[in-house]
Amino acid sequence: MKKTFTFVCVVLGLLLFSSGMIFAEGAQETGGDEAEEITIAYVGFPHISPFWVQMAQYIKEEADANGVKLLDMTPTEADAAMQKAAVDNAINREVDGIIIGAVDNRAFGESLKNAGSKGIICVAVDTAIDDPNITALAQTDNLSSARVMGQYIVDNTAKGKVLILGGTLGHQTGDARRDGVRQVCEANGYEVIYRACDWDDGKAYETAINELSANPDITAVFGAWDPGALAGLAAVKEKGLLGKVKVFGFDGLPGAFKSIKDGELTGTIKQDNKKMAQVIVGSLLSQINGQEGVKKLLIDGFVIDKSNVDEYM
Amino acid sequence: MALGISTTAKSQMRKGAQSLMGLIIIYVIFSIMSPTFRTFSTFKTILTQAVILGTLAAGPTIVLISGGLDLSIGSLFCLVAVCTGWMLISGVPVFWVVVFALAVGAGCGALNGLIIVGTGIPAFIGTLGMMKAYRGLAEILARNKDMSQFPESFHMIGSGYLIPISIMAVTFILVYIFLTRTKLGFSCYAIGGSNEVARLAGVPVKKYYFIYYTLGGFFAGLSAIIQSARLNFTNSSWGNGMELDAIAAVIIGGTSLSGGIGGVGRTVIGVLIINALNAGLSHMGVSSSWQRISIGLVIIFAVWLDFMQRKRESRA
Repeated sequence: MKKTFTFVCVVLGLLLFSSGMIFAEGAQETGGDEAEEITIAYVGFPHISPFWVQMAQYIKEEADANGVKLLDMTPTEADAAMQKAAVDNAINREVDGIIIGAVDNRAFGESLKNAGSKGIICVAVDTAIDDPNITALAQTDNLSSARVMGQYIVDNTAKGKVLILGGTLGHQTGDARRDGVRQVCEANGYEVIYRACDWDDGKAYETAINELSANPDITAVFGAWDPGALAGLAAVKEKGLLGKVKVFGFDGLPGAFKSIKDGELTGTIKQDNKKMAQVIVGSLLSQINGQEGVKKLLIDGFVIDKSNVDEYM
Repeated sequence: MALGISTTAKSQMRKGAQSLMGLIIIYVIFSIMSPTFRTFSTFKTILTQAVILGTLAAGPTIVLISGGLDLSIGSLFCLVAVCTGWMLISGVPVFWVVVFALAVGAGCGALNGLIIVGTGIPAFIGTLGMMKAYRGLAEILARNKDMSQFPESFHMIGSGYLIPISIMAVTFILVYIFLTRTKLGFSCYAIGGSNEVARLAGVPVKKYYFIYYTLGGFFAGLSAIIQSARLNFTNSSWGNGMELDAIAAVIIGGTSLSGGIGGVGRTVIGVLIINALNAGLSHMGVSSSWQRISIGLVIIFAVWLDFMQRKRESRA
């Protein structure tokens, strides 16, 4: 009896502890207390990359600025199943709209259909989701920006092999970045080696080490995301090839800028995630209020290198 | 002796009741605190989300009761998912994909059993090694392949509520029958209690261990098939850390880490506690990082309960 009592007390304690977190974490819910206020959920890529940490921050700022309640339901791991579960929880939570920054754009079919049937508006940021229930998208024009990067690689690298450290195979964003760089490089007589690294920095490092060992004629490494590019750079440095093999990234994150400034990373594509956040929150709120919102915004990325990095630091 | 058995049975029943009470309390409190939590739709979602972890945890339930440990099931899950995707994009008929995928799962589980039984190395080390090996194999098979957009007849295995929940329910019923109505299953408790005593009593401990690990692999394979069907794609990053999630669900339910005590009913409760906590905290706006902290505290609490119970029993 005493033990059961202890058990009940501890479970109650845990729940009280959990409730306390809601208040401790004021950041999770913002906005006023009006009964009729709009509530939107953000289910993004986990906050393990600076790009997505910034994205979550910008979306929160935009929600605050518009006086709506934001629930950040982003899972802790880059796991498509966990993200789908988070979207299901947001639907049951009866939010007015959901912003999805997909780990994998192929995972959501059934959940989005369910959201659509309940009148919950779903929009995508950064990664397109090919589903009729996704009513707006704000992303970098990855294909066009990757072509810009491809040309930059061609202009700044001796002829040889280009190693692409890619995202997850079949992921719309990762595939577009691979295709853009590959098209331009191959058209200019470069041989391209593509390796899917699942957006995993550790895998990018291991892949780069192995490929640099196996292919001494690699002259350029392109990481489809900046932390992956920096992992590739670490491999290049470890092999003593800095200067001989040039490394390029994509995202435009502070770590990449510092590396460019230090003369290690050659260049990266700057993505405007603040604009993406502003546009997608604005579009979602317009649709919730029964107005037309922006359906698709493709933002061109541009190259940051030693010549202009100071402007962005 | 009769008194001893009766005391143990009572203590086991009490432990199961404690877990069930924990689940009920969690459910009631979240229902009071969040109006959207107490809907049928949320209940269905919790059950559906429990399917992957539930079918996966059926294996560790058997293995842990027998005093074993399998750290490779997360990677095995990934390997079966990749094999499933690979066969589907190669045009293998869905029926045979399912059969072969289950065979891969069971085969890998059997290999784990063979390594542990055959070499005598600790299960922790043996399955840790295989965890790495299966992950590597999955990465090789998945390299440069887009495994998605599977046939509708496969996709429906994991779609909606009815089929996945039915598969989970049948899995639990079969494991329950196995553990309580078969000699092989019943021996699990004896081996987990003391494998030396079981061996002296004539139980073929090595042979049975081999079968328990094979079953663990089979259920990991089944779980991987459902997830591949549900998400309609697979890749080689799946399953990271899922072995620990499954073991956590089994322990939270009240199955002992030391072996000899437990049951699949408790695993059902453990899986539902994890999913109800995650869903409830989500409904209350608590971030997933804090949800993890809560699950961690629940695990510590469950193990502490087990430890205290064993201490009290040894004193008695």
